[in-house]
Amino acid sequence: MIKRIKIGIGSCGLAAGAAEVFDFFKENVRDIDIVGVGCIGHCYAEPIVEVETDNGSIYYHSAKPNQAYLDKVLNMEDDFRLSFRPERSDRELPKVTKLAGKIDPISIDEYIQHGGYEAFQKALKMKPADVVEEVKISGLRGRGGGGFPTGLKWSYLLAQQSGEKVLICNADEGDPGAFMDRSLMESVPHQVLEGMLIAVRATGATQIFIYCRAEYPLAIKHLKIAINQVLDKKLNRINGQEIDIHIKEGAGAFVCGEETAMIHSLEGNRGTPRFRPPYPTDSGFKGYPTLINNVETYANIPIIINEGGEEFASLGTENSKGTKLFALAGDLKYPGLVEVPMGITLSEVVYEIGGAEKGSVKAVQIGGPSGGCIPADQFDVKIDYDSLESLGAIMGSGGLIFIGNNRCMVETARYFLDFTARESCGKCTFCRVGTKRMLEYLENITHGKGQPGDIDFLEDLGNKIIKGSLCGLGQTAPNPVLSTIRYYKNEYQKHVVEKQCEARVCNALVDLYLDQEKCIECGLCIKNCPVNAISDDFVIDNEICTRCNSCIEVCPTDAIGRTARGDASA
Amino acid sequence: MPKITITIDNRKLSVENGKTILEAARENDINIPALCYHDKVSHNTSCFVCVVKDTKTGQFMPSCAAIATDGMIIESESEEVQSMRQMALNLLLSEHTGDCEAPCTIACPAHAQVEEYVRAGRNKELLKALQIIKQRIPLPMSIGRVCPRFCEKDCRRNVKDQPVAINDFKRLAADMHYDTYMEDLPELNGKKVGIVGAGPGGLAIAYYLRLNGIASALYDKMPQAGGMLRYGIPEYRLPKQILDREIAHFDKMGGITILCNRELGKNLNIEELKNKYDAVAIAIGSWKPTSMRAEGEELAAGGIQWLEKIALNNWSGENPWKTIVIGGGNTAMDCVRTSVRLGSPEVYCFYRRTEEEMPAEQIEIDEAREEGVIFEFLTAPVKLTEKNGKKIFTCIKMKLGEPDASGRRRPLPIEGTEFDAEADTVIAAIGQKTAAPKGLILNRWGDIEVDSDNYQMADNIFSAGDCVSGPATVVEAVAGGRRAAMGIISYFNNEKYKESYIINVSRGHWQSLRPDDLIYLRDIRKSDRQKMHFIPIEERKKTFKEVTNSFTVEEIATEGERCYECSCTAKNDCRLKDFAEMYNAHPETIKGEKLRYDFDTRHPAIILDRNKCIKCGICVKVCKEVVNLSLIGFKDRGFGTHIDTAFGEVLPTSCKECGECIEACPVGALDWKEKS
Repeated sequence: MIKRIKIGIGSCGLAAGAAEVFDFFKENVRDIDIVGVGCIGHCYAEPIVEVETDNGSIYYHSAKPNQAYLDKVLNMEDDFRLSFRPERSDRELPKVTKLAGKIDPISIDEYIQHGGYEAFQKALKMKPADVVEEVKISGLRGRGGGGFPTGLKWSYLLAQQSGEKVLICNADEGDPGAFMDRSLMESVPHQVLEGMLIAVRATGATQIFIYCRAEYPLAIKHLKIAINQVLDKKLNRINGQEIDIHIKEGAGAFVCGEETAMIHSLEGNRGTPRFRPPYPTDSGFKGYPTLINNVETYANIPIIINEGGEEFASLGTENSKGTKLFALAGDLKYPGLVEVPMGITLSEVVYEIGGAEKGSVKAVQIGGPSGGCIPADQFDVKIDYDSLESLGAIMGSGGLIFIGNNRCMVETARYFLDFTARESCGKCTFCRVGTKRMLEYLENITHGKGQPGDIDFLEDLGNKIIKGSLCGLGQTAPNPVLSTIRYYKNEYQKHVVEKQCEARVCNALVDLYLDQEKCIECGLCIKNCPVNAISDDFVIDNEICTRCNSCIEVCPTDAIGRTARGDASA
Repeated sequence: MPKITITIDNRKLSVENGKTILEAARENDINIPALCYHDKVSHNTSCFVCVVKDTKTGQFMPSCAAIATDGMIIESESEEVQSMRQMALNLLLSEHTGDCEAPCTIACPAHAQVEEYVRAGRNKELLKALQIIKQRIPLPMSIGRVCPRFCEKDCRRNVKDQPVAINDFKRLAADMHYDTYMEDLPELNGKKVGIVGAGPGGLAIAYYLRLNGIASALYDKMPQAGGMLRYGIPEYRLPKQILDREIAHFDKMGGITILCNRELGKNLNIEELKNKYDAVAIAIGSWKPTSMRAEGEELAAGGIQWLEKIALNNWSGENPWKTIVIGGGNTAMDCVRTSVRLGSPEVYCFYRRTEEEMPAEQIEIDEAREEGVIFEFLTAPVKLTEKNGKKIFTCIKMKLGEPDASGRRRPLPIEGTEFDAEADTVIAAIGQKTAAPKGLILNRWGDIEVDSDNYQMADNIFSAGDCVSGPATVVEAVAGGRRAAMGIISYFNNEKYKESYIINVSRGHWQSLRPDDLIYLRDIRKSDRQKMHFIPIEERKKTFKEVTNSFTVEEIATEGERCYECSCTAKNDCRLKDFAEMYNAHPETIKGEKLRYDFDTRHPAIILDRNKCIKCGICVKVCKEVVNLSLIGFKDRGFGTHIDTAFGEVLPTSCKECGECIEACPVGALDWKEKS
């Protein structure tokens, strides 16, 4: 007996066509509730349909807006059933995401039915200092990337004697390939809000800002609805006053995820960071004491208050407690979002949860574009703040990008640096000019114009950029380069000295060749070549060829390939 | 106020609580460089040149923003901190484009402040012009006439039409004021230097020594002082009466004596000089003709020796009749034109390459041609014989092959093209080399070997001029003379002279620029270069009278209007330049893209040149926090970050021209258009 049908209509589902599925199901199913829910983290299977029955749920993947598919669902057929791999289910630990994708995100009642706002009510009965203490005991560290102990930060704000104190939720998730916060805001906006309301109780804050990037329209929509529901239920009456909750949409600058830049942006100024101290808890938004935490951090709070700091701290490693959300992207079989306990090994995440085949992944980039590369032979590292840092990477906000064996690490570093160089706010000399110059040196190297000494220069400049930048952007921007030089120096040297890219990625160092024995002379390559580089007798002229790979893609017999520069003519 | 104690570079300081490290340091005369710091506005912390290291935390921080806390131990000049500052400056220089110095000054071997004396000339302040000129050119009368004008070749005006007639400013300024102008001279300090050679090099050494209170005795092998100016450069280019006036000034300065007919290695001994004087300077020039490497070459006269003979005869002599001069340099031109003046009915110049490769100045070639000289190019000597009192000059035709080491195409003989030319006089003006007497240290070209910093040969012997550089120009000899003088002065102070490190960020040679790239500080209209005043051609051919007359004051003022004033408006007031020199940063160290922004000269009094901007943000804050206008703001992100007005409008009409931003700009990005 079907109780109701849930369709994941988070951004990931929508991108895969969930809206059409939702509409079709709504129109064509009369007696069963069709509910839109958030994301359960299995991006590779979207759109996902959950059929709730008395005996538990059945999941369907790759949903289509047609009768045939609908019939399969209604008849609970085996076709398209999504079975959860034990490699993942045995390792993941959904605590923060427990309700994500399970409940209607914009129904406060459903959230409350599932225990929502119980922690808040509990906190209201506690003394503020006790709430702070509980968070301190939990050992929760900032999930946005910095890893600063949350309870400690709260205690700073609590200690401030000020008529106005400001609470900011950093929802400006900017790392490419990272979508933990988006998923939480879309799927469980009330949980995020609850965490903030508890923080208000604990610290005496008088107003709340949620700084969310404008590229997250669904998250903003859900938050707005959730805020109105909170106001309707007067949950914003805390510490004897009504707390205003504002949403500020970011205009797309990555750097505004940095707390002082975010404050400037909120104040209506150019989003540039400033020197700390003073820290925002001393002087933040318009000079008021200000607390800034990230979405995921706030989403952890209700759990801590509900189960107690000690219980929370029982999970994880010595200095990294609780669970962490990771967004898995890149060269892997099962991209998606997963919540795992701190201390799990990287190897488990890569091979078991991500489903990457052993030997197929060269490295992972952890911590966003300014994180660091961790090579496969270091995958037994435990995922916690300190272990990652010891390898030259950072926890960051939870982006985990898989770098396949076919990738060139110099090019990969260039790719990440290209992002941060562009997103530098332009204030600090080292970051503004330094990242640009590093990028140019990398471009030269990938173009086969590297000079002896370039690698040393990159290391010298990179380390100086880290020392000579005000904010996290500049302080971490060289990481991809420095960590790839650390682990893949031989690849750099091949590029610089031998002018070779062994991965055959860097176009300037690659020739295309056509294997005459495999060729069936179908002529597709000639037809598709945009520059007429292939002769009538199927020989590629590498002087003309632009390495666009069109021929490789269209060749039905895989007769065309990439080889070392100069090899094709030899 | 309660006091705290911090340590900067091992100095314990007691400072008021709440001060930044930078303020604390400056109050105690510890100089921490900073570009984005301004005491009237809230801190920017953008340049990171003021970076210091907190040794306790190991962290680097901008001292302009970091508050000093009790017990802090700060490193400001450790190697590590210096290296950070140098990198910051190198990065800033790598995106910075301006012209620290005008290209004319850079091109001038003596680094004369061209733009400044041209501006003085434009303002009809010729005495001021002369004062500026004489800082680097102690022989403006001569150089104002004979200089090959390196400055004009690099003049940006070339982009549009012809270069500014720079050298004529020197000539007029000297003509008007040289005889009466006297430098402020210090008392003689008792030191005395013996200088061998009273040509341009020797005179320059004497001049700069005298400016520093040091007396000198100039020895010269010839009957009169002047060297090549007197015995190599013909009267029609440099009248000797002008040279006499020029040399008379040295006498007037006091402390400089000139002793003639004294030749080193003959009636002058280096050991004696070494002992007699506190230091010795050798400036004997480069007088020995180079071989033609042709059979019978002894039948030809050497160019310089031939001229010397005429000079000794007070620019008169026998008619050389039909004359062939071999060579393509300025001496060859001097020979052909002198032959014309001596009455030769037929004067030829044979040169083994083409006119394009001729080392002589184009103006000399043109003027020789005007005077009737016939040029035979691609013609090389084979042998010289004599028959019936006539010289039979066997030559061969040449063709140009691949470029040689000098970059010019190598001439190659064409077999079977030998021919005979008959002449009464053959002069070989191939070149000269140094003929140094024994006891001097020579390099492999036979020139005197000196230290390239202080021009010291050995012990207390210094040297400069052609005898060091090989045959060159008067202005180069003068530049070398100055260096040797500085070397001697430092030597007296027990120091070793080294030219201070000066950076120059250049917007590029004019050949790489388009008319749009030129900056118009003033309303510069198209105007032709002032025409030279030549005496009539008949007079030129028959007499040794000076070929041209000086410009008038009016003409010079008009010519001065043509100058673009290329150097940076903040030339003498650029903190980026100062710190770059201090920390040995270099504009070429880090190469990469430079963004090109249009110059904004729309405001009547102010120029905004974003190419120079270092994005320190001071102007933005000054306009906002001091002037309360907020007319300038930042735009874009990353490397493309730049300052701009709202909607890119003209620096607004509401601008009060208070100059606060200009005053505060550490470079020349915002400046007054008017230069002083």
